[in-house]
Amino acid sequence: MTPVSLRRVLGFVGSLTLAYTLFSACPVRAQEEEKVLNIYNWSDYIAEDTVANFEKEFGIKVRYDNFDNNEILHAKMVAGRTGYDIVVPSSYFAKMQINGGLLRPLDRSKIPNWKNLDPNILSALAEMDPGNKYLVDWAWGFTTVGINVDKVKKALGDLPMPDNAWDLVFKPEYMSRLKSCGVSFLDSATEIVPPAAHYLGKPGFSKNPADYNGVPALLKAIRPYVTLFSSAGYINDLANGSICVALGYSGDINIAKNRAIEGKTGQNIQCLIPKTGGLLFMDTMAIPADAPHPNNALKWINYYLRPEVSASMTNKVFYANPNKASLPFVKPVVANDKTVFPSDADMQRMERPGELTNDSRRAMTRIYTSFKTGL
Amino acid sequence: MSRPLVASFFDRMHAHPFFRKHSRKAVIFVPYVWLLVFFLLPFFIILKISVSEMEVATFLPLLKYRDGIVSLALNVSHYLFIFEDELYSATYLASLKYAAVTTFWCLFIGYPFAYFMARAKATIQPALLMLVMLPFWTSFLLRVYAWKGLLMESGWVSELLIAVHADDLLLHLGLITAPGKFMYTPFSLVLGMVYTYLPFMVLPLYATLSKMDLRLLEAAADLGATPWVGFWKITVPLSKAGIIAGSMLVFIPCIGEYVIPELLGGPSTMMIGRVLWDEFFSNNDWPMASSVAVVVILLIIVPLALFNKYQAEATEARA
Amino acid sequence: MTPATAAPATLQIRDVVKDFGGGSVAVNHVSLDIHKGEIFALLGSSGCGKTTLLRMLAGFEIPTQGSILLDGQDLAGLPPYLRPINMMFQSYALFPHLTVWDNIAFGLKRDGMPKERIAERVEAMLKLVQLPKYAKRKPHQLSGGQQQRVALARSLAKRPQLMLLDEPLGALDKKLREETQIELVNIIHEVGVTCVMVTHDQEEAMTMATRIAVMSEGKILQVGAPAEIYETPATRFVADFIGNVNMMEGTVAVDEPDMVEIDCGYCRHRVGHGITGTVGMEVSVALRPEKIRLSRTKPEGQVNQVQGTVRDRSYFGSFTVYNLELAGGRRLKVSESNVERHREDAPAEGQVAWATWPDTAQVVLTQ
Repeated sequence: MTPVSLRRVLGFVGSLTLAYTLFSACPVRAQEEEKVLNIYNWSDYIAEDTVANFEKEFGIKVRYDNFDNNEILHAKMVAGRTGYDIVVPSSYFAKMQINGGLLRPLDRSKIPNWKNLDPNILSALAEMDPGNKYLVDWAWGFTTVGINVDKVKKALGDLPMPDNAWDLVFKPEYMSRLKSCGVSFLDSATEIVPPAAHYLGKPGFSKNPADYNGVPALLKAIRPYVTLFSSAGYINDLANGSICVALGYSGDINIAKNRAIEGKTGQNIQCLIPKTGGLLFMDTMAIPADAPHPNNALKWINYYLRPEVSASMTNKVFYANPNKASLPFVKPVVANDKTVFPSDADMQRMERPGELTNDSRRAMTRIYTSFKTGL
Repeated sequence: MSRPLVASFFDRMHAHPFFRKHSRKAVIFVPYVWLLVFFLLPFFIILKISVSEMEVATFLPLLKYRDGIVSLALNVSHYLFIFEDELYSATYLASLKYAAVTTFWCLFIGYPFAYFMARAKATIQPALLMLVMLPFWTSFLLRVYAWKGLLMESGWVSELLIAVHADDLLLHLGLITAPGKFMYTPFSLVLGMVYTYLPFMVLPLYATLSKMDLRLLEAAADLGATPWVGFWKITVPLSKAGIIAGSMLVFIPCIGEYVIPELLGGPSTMMIGRVLWDEFFSNNDWPMASSVAVVVILLIIVPLALFNKYQAEATEARA
Repeated sequence: MTPATAAPATLQIRDVVKDFGGGSVAVNHVSLDIHKGEIFALLGSSGCGKTTLLRMLAGFEIPTQGSILLDGQDLAGLPPYLRPINMMFQSYALFPHLTVWDNIAFGLKRDGMPKERIAERVEAMLKLVQLPKYAKRKPHQLSGGQQQRVALARSLAKRPQLMLLDEPLGALDKKLREETQIELVNIIHEVGVTCVMVTHDQEEAMTMATRIAVMSEGKILQVGAPAEIYETPATRFVADFIGNVNMMEGTVAVDEPDMVEIDCGYCRHRVGHGITGTVGMEVSVALRPEKIRLSRTKPEGQVNQVQGTVRDRSYFGSFTVYNLELAGGRRLKVSESNVERHREDAPAEGQVAWATWPDTAQVVLTQ
């Protein structure tokens, strides 16, 4: 279990210093924007050359910081004056930030590449951002189950693979057997409670805390069999075989699969799409209301929406991008992978992100704490 | 160049009747301002947030003006909630427990450590002192991370513990949950905290022990006390101030410790620092987070007040 | 005051050497016999080895060579806490965290004495040093003199066979010191304990001790009763160290069994006793200032007199010290008792005066 990663804490300290420098260095904002852009994105979520190419082409110095959960980003946004020009919250967190007036509407005239966006993705995102005023999708994927095929088969023994992949992680009869080869859960309330509610047939993202009523009992029954809580470290554990099942993100599981192949670890990793669907998430670029360099931010968004730039992200980290025009640039093996770009049938079954409130978040956190610690 | 200027400024300042009259108070003024700006003011901000109501990203104002009436809305529901949900009391108690256990072990290890340092040859004492301080030259976070590596399966501390069958004992004591697995247990948590806070125990102990008059031990021996008795009857009572100072320096920060339990602790070692994190980050509930923080501060102030009382008594006795 | 020579000595120090290494020997082949009931003073300036010797008695230092016997028992290998010896430390080393009562009871408790008996003994000790009212105080709440008495009570409480005193009065001011000297001796005699004390203060040693050993550079130069040490010092060092002395160098001019004459050039000594020496031998004559008289006129005869000019005069109340300049720039110190309130013929500064002394005044030092 890695509840807090080194990178997260260092990033936190780093961005404090950054914020300080930003606000002390330029007390008077020049008419022409400073050639600086400050980006706060998820860790391991970009191709190697994306930033460098942008810097070279636009002559803008990019400071690129990482986070690995929405809560950190959100708390910073609420506190204000983050100093960042681009942040990448998940859409359901972005919704709260829109409601709180923390984001700046996009000037679409500065984003000619908007035309490349997939209308389906735009309409899906409009559920959180009506009229697509604030958010541009960076990447999307879904929360699901990843397995080490051989190890799971061996651990289950005479028990056949379930019809619904969610059974693997939410049914004690499977979990009790899988414990022997290691089971990892994402370490965040907002990543565990929605799948559990979804599994129970309730909306995963509900404003009504009563929808989560069945979740504590479900989670309590499987708690003894969870061997690891991890939001990022599980990728390696899955790749090297020290866990055999992960409740994680589709792209991360595919990264693990790829690492196993490249590293020749002999582990056969597979990303599953549950019969009832995974939980769709969209991580979106947005400009904070108090961003110091909003024009540079728009340049960045427009740059990212170039087909080849979006494609390089997908090729690198196995998350789908919203850029319809990028498909020709995506490697065929990735483009044809149904766990990166799911079939229409699978897409139909995916649970879409919904709006959260402070109350529903509190309910999730309490359930999760109780699940994890027994308190 | 600036020296005469500065000097003349101070001269003029001291010549001013206000300063001549209040120069003594002016000196005390500085620490008071420090306390006010860096402790009291933030504390009151937290106190204010703790009785506020949170919107998505803002607070409802405490003072409301409606129909010509000013009303003050203090929301104490967060404090009440602390007593409602046993999560808070349980983690408070866990924090106190782990802080106490850590303090005990720091004292148990730190005392002999400081003792032999203080009794070592005067020429090597600076070097020993340096060794105690040395860990501070490396980031605290990296050092805690290093323990992660050492305690992981196949980490060499872990291997060593298994080799000497220490895991059987720890398992028997309930400090670890499975043989050979040391990480994310009460054991790894306490180990990390003891490791981190040990210098804070050793340094004040060393300071008192090195100041001790060794002839008192000769006097005790002369009166029939064996070295062991002399230690307990003379050395330990005379280092009481150091023991208390060291214990406070360890106990107080341990209560609110967040990073070490996050990195080395497990689900069974949840402490109040994590609850506070959850309130702030996961729940985005600043008032609740502030309420928890206020209670933590109160929890820390009580031992601190006791310590101050003892200090005052000791100073009075010496005068 | 003379020791009972018949009984074997309580404390026997046999050829003790303490070598800390590094060239100098702290204690160099010291042998001493100390008898029951004695107050024996080790006198010397700092670094002479007296404290090291005392610490060897207490057991804090181990002799490099030689043995120490207490009542016939060899103390070698016995740690301090097993020796029936207690010490009163320099500046007392009272336990600051314990009350006066607990300080005194400390040693008794270590012996596992029953509570009632400890209480009895502590009360008795407090009474002995006249501090019963201070039992509940902490050391820092007492005056220097009171602390000294607590220290005494603490070291006497266990009724040691031997008590060691390390500069027992060193921390007190002069007036208090003089009062306390007598009091301390009275208490020690009342208890009847054998004492070895260490001091650099010859007056203290003179007043308190039955016998004194003068030490220098780790060696014992002379052992004797105070008067013996003062009146018949064996060496120049002892003569010089104890009290004031005028030293005159000369050669033996006349040597008879009951009289010698010594010629110092500017003055001729006639000494009223014989010495072991021969005519022509170089000797020193030690002459104490208080044994010299001054007069404005030349006394009769040719010997035991010298003329000088008064260079300065210091009035001390009970006596006056004159500094006479002799021929060739030599100095002579004279101490005159002020028996009269205003002596008419007292020589003034700058005046010529004659110094004279009886033939019993000098000590002839051949070494």
